[in-house]
Amino acid sequence: MNKHVKNLAPETTDLSRRSFLVGTAATGLVLGYAGSGIDGALAAPAPANFEPSVWYSIAPDGLVTVTCGKADMGQHVASTMAQIVAEELGANWKDMRVQLASNDPKFNDPVLGAQITGGSWSTMMNFDAMSRAGAAGRIALTEAAAASMGVPAGELVVRASTISHPKSKKSMSFAEVVKSGKATKTFTADDLKAIKLKSADQYTMIGVSVPQLDIPLKVNGTAKYGIDVMLPGMVYGALVTPPVRYGATVKSVDDGAAKKVPGFIKAVTLDDKTTTTTGWVVAVANTYANAKKAAAALKIDYDGGPNAKLSSESLFAEAKRLQGLSDSGEFFVKDGDPNAAFGTAAKVLEAEYTTNINIHAPMEPMNATAEFKGDILHIYSGNQFATRSGAIAAGAAGIDPKFVVMHQMWLGGGFGRRLDADMMVPAVQAAKAVGKPVKVIYTRENDMTMDFSRPLTYQKVKAGVDGDGKLVALSHDVVSAWPTQRWGIPDFLSPSVDKKGPLDAFTVNGSDFFYTVPNHYVRAIKNEMAHNATPSGQLRSVAPGWTFWAVESMVDEIAHATGKDPAQLRVELLDGKGKNDGGAQRLRNTLLAAMGLAGYGTKKLPKGEGMGVACVSSQERATASWTACVAHVAVAPSGEVTVKKLTVATDVGTQVNPDGIRAQVEGAALWGMSLALFEKATLKDGGIEQTNFDSYTPLRMSQLPEVAVNVIANGEKATGVGEPAVTVVAPAIGNAVFNAVGARVRGLPITAEAVKAAMKA
Amino acid sequence: MPNLNINGRNMSVEAASDTPLLWVIREQLQMTGTKFGCGAGLCGACTVHLNGEAVRSCQTSLADAVGKKITTIEGLSAKGEHPLQKAWVAEQVPQCGYCQSGQIMQAAALLSKNTNPTKEEVVAHMDGNLCRCMTYSRIQKAIMRAASDMRTASATGSERRAT
Ligand code: FES
Ligand code: FES
Repeated sequence: MNKHVKNLAPETTDLSRRSFLVGTAATGLVLGYAGSGIDGALAAPAPANFEPSVWYSIAPDGLVTVTCGKADMGQHVASTMAQIVAEELGANWKDMRVQLASNDPKFNDPVLGAQITGGSWSTMMNFDAMSRAGAAGRIALTEAAAASMGVPAGELVVRASTISHPKSKKSMSFAEVVKSGKATKTFTADDLKAIKLKSADQYTMIGVSVPQLDIPLKVNGTAKYGIDVMLPGMVYGALVTPPVRYGATVKSVDDGAAKKVPGFIKAVTLDDKTTTTTGWVVAVANTYANAKKAAAALKIDYDGGPNAKLSSESLFAEAKRLQGLSDSGEFFVKDGDPNAAFGTAAKVLEAEYTTNINIHAPMEPMNATAEFKGDILHIYSGNQFATRSGAIAAGAAGIDPKFVVMHQMWLGGGFGRRLDADMMVPAVQAAKAVGKPVKVIYTRENDMTMDFSRPLTYQKVKAGVDGDGKLVALSHDVVSAWPTQRWGIPDFLSPSVDKKGPLDAFTVNGSDFFYTVPNHYVRAIKNEMAHNATPSGQLRSVAPGWTFWAVESMVDEIAHATGKDPAQLRVELLDGKGKNDGGAQRLRNTLLAAMGLAGYGTKKLPKGEGMGVACVSSQERATASWTACVAHVAVAPSGEVTVKKLTVATDVGTQVNPDGIRAQVEGAALWGMSLALFEKATLKDGGIEQTNFDSYTPLRMSQLPEVAVNVIANGEKATGVGEPAVTVVAPAIGNAVFNAVGARVRGLPITAEAVKAAMKA
Repeated sequence: MPNLNINGRNMSVEAASDTPLLWVIREQLQMTGTKFGCGAGLCGACTVHLNGEAVRSCQTSLADAVGKKITTIEGLSAKGEHPLQKAWVAEQVPQCGYCQSGQIMQAAALLSKNTNPTKEEVVAHMDGNLCRCMTYSRIQKAIMRAASDMRTASATGSERRAT
């Protein structure tokens, strides 16, 4: 697909080549990994003109500026990184500042080896590196202070940006040490590894709800998002996108009427060799209002291409057909032999679960600003995957990716949408065509109809229960477009257990749950038709958003079929045997915490009301945040579902900022509810039918339920919180609806009509 | 050239009279605190005040704004210290923050008339403002906090006047 993206593996683990650089310069103290090894680092300790090429710097005034290589889309990750640094550095929180990194590879994630933000990975994967960076700074400053004061470094105490010597009552602020110019020390990778980090009982910053550093900018209008970028001489691009989501081509463009629009400059038909877009035209004008007028005046003739007749119904039909074939797909899980076990099972249950297309719709519509300056292409945009997006921009420009500088901005929502790079293509090609910087802004209609959506999914689950009511076999087929395969980066794919080739684990994660089921198959089946017609993306939580919908609904169905309490059945299945040891117990405990908090089973509910449970190990087995939900719903005779309360418990190991975590978990849970009840997009004649917030309708304030969040921090490694709670809510609501009125709904979103129909059945 | 009174200053702008006020504010005046979200009156990200009333600037033409007092997030208070802005920080409301200028401007119009709103009044007044990050419960709390701060301030103010 995209030949410009090089394999991301080489840089992932090779920290040995890097040394930790500490040096003073006119601009202050800078700390971070030097990309070119220790020699290069020593030869050029720090540039006189500060270049943000390292994790943080301390200015002579004592302000500590952390450069965040992760995209900040509202999860306050920049602030979180600063908090981790500040803990080990011993800095006062009021001295901390943040800035956003460019796409310089020096800012690559220390674990992932690329600049990508997603998967709820950031805190988990950067915790150690930021802690060690902070500690190295403290050591360097302490040794310098010791030399200045003439006392042993071991007798110094660092707190709140001050280094003091209790015996002599001498002290120096960080600012004074930096000004002294004596802080010079380099750390090899081994030195860094050898630093003894604080233990949790020594924390004074981690675990404290310090105010998020980006919030003041976001209440007075000064935070700069991609859409706010203004460059001298800049003009504007408005998009005309075809009626078909993917595969259309432009046959002709008549700009006769557009030419009459004042300020109109040019209509640019994209020639997208990166295959990210098809059939797009940009109308360029001196203002955005004029660009939009010109766009509306263009007369464009399209060839709709191969997908122009497809609809959601055809994608579902194709999914069913594929699932029915015995040789479809690849195995993600293959334990025991479910088919044999079904033959001897006392009871076999079978069900189909579906989810419809969902649209990210962050509040800031997609946009990008491109400027060619000499040999360099500058891109200004809030983006979650600078490494790949820079390469796509280069592909659109026909230049080498090393000539692309990505200027990161605050993201007006990401949710996975800004992992994609489509917005680079019109901005780059328009800027090239008119020889001026161009800012391209999608209308909401462009944004919705050209979303890299959560794919439509079809899942078939078959479960076998033995004479004692024990779940002995489960087979689970997951049919969907493959969002991550679309990136064309082999490292993001996983080998299948049946060695049939790589599979997109981001379509099946979650189905490898922590329940003990001796015979368990999961097949990942690519719906090629959906893949081509509706290029899919990573929508907040990705696969666990649909796999747990199926698994956690089926577990409830099994409980009801065997006369067990659904929560009790989950506790039994989470027995911690074999490969599930550890994780299963944590999930069980989390479920019990949520049940306790919600008062599950302790009171008789009025008629038409019910509670339902679900528990998940999202996002991936290796990175799980253990999350459980009890949903309390009221169902009207019309089938309309009102969520009265969501109780969510989540075990995140270690919490850096408890208040920030609660905000993320609540937002994620409400996303889960919005996807469960209110959000549905449909394909018709190859195009997405929903175009704005009148037809695609995320949760509004009047639909807000009571949300109770309980965060469990038990001292284990910090895990992510941006996504897991999305995945637990839909099944909890579905199960609650069943408990309220006996209606089992197996398709998302759960509509009043579907509930009513199931009530009658 | 039309003249606009914006945040207490008179500014002349160059744009067709049917241009949405939103784009005049953002591009010509380069005041980017007011956001574009939907362009159709469905999200509230573009909310500003016209003579103290909250309006959607994407649905307001330049012609309609001439001769009226326009207030944007940049002009809500001199130093960003409107009780709502302080409450927004105290409650740590914003996530991505993109909707929040509009939320604050919408809420400010409510509190300017009613510093003791019920929860139902808050919901009814705010329901047109989408927050994709789903910060709604904190928005509610912050509005209640600001309302209470405003009541306290005016109570102490009148006590002082009384003495
Ligand atoms: S941009 Fe004006 S209401 Fe959405
Ligand atoms: S804070 Fe992100 S849209 Fe409201």
